[in-house]
Amino acid sequence: MSEEKNVLSRRTVLKGAAIGGAGLAAGGALSAGTATSARAAGADIHWTTRGGGDTGDKIAKAVNDAFTAKTGTKVIAQQVNSDDFQNNFAQIMQGSPDDAFGWMAGWRSNHYGEAGLLADVTAQNKALTSLPASAVQAATNPVDKKQYIIPTTYYPWGLHYRKSMVKKIGMNPEKIQHWDDLIKMMTLTKKNGLVAYAMGDKQGWEAMGTFDILNARVNGYKYHIDLLNGRAKWTDAKTKETFKYFAQLIPFMNPNFMDIDWDGCRDLLLQKMCGAMMMGSWFANDFKAKSQADYNDLWVVPFPEINKAHGIDTIDAPLDGISVAAHGKNVEGGKALAQFWGSKEGINAAIGAGDTNIYVSKDFDSSGYDAFGKQKLAVLGSAKNIMFFADRDSRGDFAGPILGPALQSFMKNPKNVNKILENTQAQWEALPKN
Amino acid sequence: MKTTVTIPKNRNRRSLSKTDRFTLTAFVGIPSLLQIILLWIPAVVTVILSFTYWNGINIKDIHWAGIQNYKNIFVNNPIFYQALKNNGIWLAFFLLVATPLGVLLAYQIDRGIKGHAFFESIYYLPVVLSLAVIGIIWNFMFQPGGFVQGIMGRDLAHALSIWGNPSINTWVILGVASWRHIGYIMLLYLSGLKSVDPALKEAAAIDGATEWEIFRKIILPTMQPVNIIILVITLIESLRAFDLVYIIYGSPTVFPLLNLLVFQNFAGQGISMKGAAYAVILLLLCIIPIITYLRVVFKEDLK
Repeated sequence: MSEEKNVLSRRTVLKGAAIGGAGLAAGGALSAGTATSARAAGADIHWTTRGGGDTGDKIAKAVNDAFTAKTGTKVIAQQVNSDDFQNNFAQIMQGSPDDAFGWMAGWRSNHYGEAGLLADVTAQNKALTSLPASAVQAATNPVDKKQYIIPTTYYPWGLHYRKSMVKKIGMNPEKIQHWDDLIKMMTLTKKNGLVAYAMGDKQGWEAMGTFDILNARVNGYKYHIDLLNGRAKWTDAKTKETFKYFAQLIPFMNPNFMDIDWDGCRDLLLQKMCGAMMMGSWFANDFKAKSQADYNDLWVVPFPEINKAHGIDTIDAPLDGISVAAHGKNVEGGKALAQFWGSKEGINAAIGAGDTNIYVSKDFDSSGYDAFGKQKLAVLGSAKNIMFFADRDSRGDFAGPILGPALQSFMKNPKNVNKILENTQAQWEALPKN
Repeated sequence: MKTTVTIPKNRNRRSLSKTDRFTLTAFVGIPSLLQIILLWIPAVVTVILSFTYWNGINIKDIHWAGIQNYKNIFVNNPIFYQALKNNGIWLAFFLLVATPLGVLLAYQIDRGIKGHAFFESIYYLPVVLSLAVIGIIWNFMFQPGGFVQGIMGRDLAHALSIWGNPSINTWVILGVASWRHIGYIMLLYLSGLKSVDPALKEAAAIDGATEWEIFRKIILPTMQPVNIIILVITLIESLRAFDLVYIIYGSPTVFPLLNLLVFQNFAGQGISMKGAAYAVILLLLCIIPIITYLRVVFKEDLK
């Protein structure tokens, strides 16, 4: 069953894709790796595909074969269950890990990198000249300034809705830009007897997407990141202001939000039962799978502006990439392979095998994108600050065990907000300093 | 009297052949060794870890935390008290409702009421399923878009909140858990009842005892060893509850239980030694009542 659940989980969906994804580009691909690849040519390189099913395997094979064709080094790949890999990551990395694998930027690479489990790939990122500076910056650990991941793909969290439904209530679907527009849209949707704002928080992480963006819209990117890292307080008036906006959304939500997962929200939109849904854009293929008409109806915009001072300058766009195990058998080989996944050749091989991810690299060619794909790029492009989602922007022993349940109890009892925030702050302060 | 006791003892000891001694050592020694390696050493290590801060990666990063982990659990941590409450309700419900129902069913079936074979099979059926499978089945029934919601004509947007509704989810979960627990207890008790000498019951009935008196004064005391077993099982099943709820929710926070909190804080990304402290709390909750109870019972038996 856990297998089955995982298939549905956000992580698998996008990670699988990410794995496939993996590539950023450097014109000369292995120019920096030449010295190392000569050595690597002797020994096989092991690669872990993190979920993604058949497509994940297909993409990995395409990229790894291209690498073998170029360097003569054999790559041995295996696919693992994404959630299992993530939950046992420290143990796997201390055992006999594969040399390179798809992984996630933010706390998850910084933390394990600092602990000595991931190899420093700063040189590889430097060699990949097509990587935008912002992506490299985002992949840099703020503590030791090293890079433990080669950034490859990302996806936007935005406000999704159906254009036809917004037209029907008499609004322009291209112009949901301000908080007032959203409130108006939700009010009208609700009047039609539909769910105005789809929410599913059964697993406890889904609502973080709404919280992230509200806090960034109300207080700005810097405050949000400070808050998630203990440099601002949950009991501050500014944080409380964010929760005032959050409380305004609750009456518009489906009352059974504690009973459904993110895919329940997706189904609400798919079945035309809800107006707006704040979610990562990874599910668009499910619309396509239902019908082209449904897919064409789907739209995404940046979450509307609340505070003029911050506009829509921030977005949740979790960045994925390739990391190299520090204790692998062939670290140099792993680095060379990881760099190849980030190169133009790697990206093209992945896309050729059916990868639909958006790559951060400038080598990524998006000219073949459809309208929704282009809109996703526009949503990404509208922001200058990129958040990675609360469970990657904050420490692991805070996001899941403390913040998740706090948001759940807030949505159940918004009136208890002060008590909940006091508890959250107290629990943050009780965490070990390290 | 004394001599008769000591002589056979000595004879017994002497009569142990080499093979016997080897067999005995192997049969007692190997399980004990495994028990120590697989159970007691990890348990002791967990207790030690519960007084430390550690992210589970490098041994050198472990440092002492004193009682801080426990303080973090007991202070400002509402989810712990919710979990304690849920486990408490679970235990009370099993002790007062599910287990007695299982015993009652066993007694009725043993009396050979009409259609007892039928009842026996339908109550026994859930026992062959693991709690994980039971979780999948009932989640499929009650979740939005599920079978029961469909029968009630409720689509995804209007689905009744069942698992996420704090005023009813406890009882639904307990109902589902009891579905299996009742059959399990029934089975255990039934096998015990089969060994009760029917002559005892007949004699009591001839002396004019009512059904209730027979059950209370004859069956229950004769069944003492089985009673202990089902009591201990009920206690442990209630405190260690995990799989059913984890399968239904996929997360530990909507319906927290102590074991779910151990898992969340002791594995994966959320790892901290708070998880070890939760585990120690759970261990103490499990073994203190059991040891106390067993000591009392065995003392009575020795008398």
